[in-house]
Amino acid sequence: MAAPFTRVYRPLWRIITTTTLNKGVRNVSSTRQQWSAQNVKTAGVASPWALHGAVCLQRLPVVSQDRSPIEDEFMELMHQMELERSLLSDHELRLLEDAARMSRKQEEESDEEEEDYRDKDIFTAQDLEDIWEQKLKQYQPAQRSQGVDEKGVSSSERCLAESLILLVKKDVGSQKLWLLPQIQWQTGETLRQTAERALASLPVGADLKATFLGNAPCGFYKYKYPKDIQKEGSVGAKVFFFKALLSGHKHLPLEKNSFAWVKKDELQDFLKPEYLKQVRRFIMAL
Amino acid sequence: MAGIVCRTASQIISSQASCSSSVLAVRHSHWFTSVLSLKTSIPLRAEPKKKKKVDPRREIMMKERLKKKLKRLEKVPPELIPIEDFITPAKCFDETRIRDAPKLSFEESERRALLLKEWSRYKYSQHQTEMDTIEEALEAQRQALDELKLESEELYKAAVSSDMDLFPFQREGPSYTPPITNYEAPEGKYNNITRVYTQ
Repeated sequence: MAAPFTRVYRPLWRIITTTTLNKGVRNVSSTRQQWSAQNVKTAGVASPWALHGAVCLQRLPVVSQDRSPIEDEFMELMHQMELERSLLSDHELRLLEDAARMSRKQEEESDEEEEDYRDKDIFTAQDLEDIWEQKLKQYQPAQRSQGVDEKGVSSSERCLAESLILLVKKDVGSQKLWLLPQIQWQTGETLRQTAERALASLPVGADLKATFLGNAPCGFYKYKYPKDIQKEGSVGAKVFFFKALLSGHKHLPLEKNSFAWVKKDELQDFLKPEYLKQVRRFIMAL
Repeated sequence: MAGIVCRTASQIISSQASCSSSVLAVRHSHWFTSVLSLKTSIPLRAEPKKKKKVDPRREIMMKERLKKKLKRLEKVPPELIPIEDFITPAKCFDETRIRDAPKLSFEESERRALLLKEWSRYKYSQHQTEMDTIEEALEAQRQALDELKLESEELYKAAVSSDMDLFPFQREGPSYTPPITNYEAPEGKYNNITRVYTQ
């Protein structure tokens, strides 16, 4: 964020504040308390909101989406138009020549032995095409879409053509709710580190390798505690969401009742309406 | 140049001959045309160190000439590397390759025109939804950062600072079929025929 300043005449507090790193939050806060006269809310000052860090872990699509009908039609049209406007390729010329030669052979049954001698290539273009087709059939690609209900909600191999979000069932107060994995913020760490900890603290957290996209949160959700739980100084909680992409995992099956990989349309079956409203904003399913 | 060579040759030979011969022997040698000329020329026993002053000057002159030639060569602008993409290959101008264009019926051309219009409308609506989704995500992020600022300044600063580990970011996009587990791709041989140009 800042290169160390070597000019001596700069005031000391500026030097200290400009050499902040992500992990040096504690140092900065202590120096700021000494030097800054602003009304800064540090960890020591009580804010009524408890901070939580949550992670929105996305498994991006593995397979391309199916084409809609208009896309199909347009693709056909484009292929046709390109074919009409193109020139003949070498292979096509060879096909035409072979066809002409065959028809000549059949019409004139005269001595074609000399021509046979000149034919260095044993294969005609059509034969080559057949050989290539045979080779293609030998390769069996994996199936694009495994059946609709084959995989349960907790498998990350579901809907390969769409991006999935990881949801966790958690006890919040007296209820069990489906949430994005979240954990309380501790002093001395940035919110992104809280989110990373939230992912690592899951039972399968060690297997899920994620790349976090940046230090800034992508969304937030605040809720007030029910009145009987509200202590002095804690009105409710603010949850900050961080986006992460799933980069690799060992395909271990997750517990069905506590984990779910869910598409954007299915989110409404799992999340509470208020929570869903905030979460939908930053999840992009295009 | 030839004179120098002759003289150096004569000196070498005379120095070799000097140990055993006198002027008499030299007189009869076929190397020298007359004794007189020999006397007027350089002494016999001198070693060919005589060109001390002349040689360095000559060498310096040679070097300067070479340098001037090099400068003249360098002044010429380098030949531009041809961009192969911009040169249409000769194959494309071959007349035998022209395809017979089929004649489109009126209905076909109408269908094509209508489909193109339909497509542009579809793409426009797709673009609008994409832009709206992005706008909303950015708005959500902005609001989250505002809330964080209200909460604590250092966390806000940490959030706003740039992430050094993120870039360069690389990811494989979606393919047509999913990857086969434990698949060993067959090794293929290829001959690389790209032309490499050097300036």
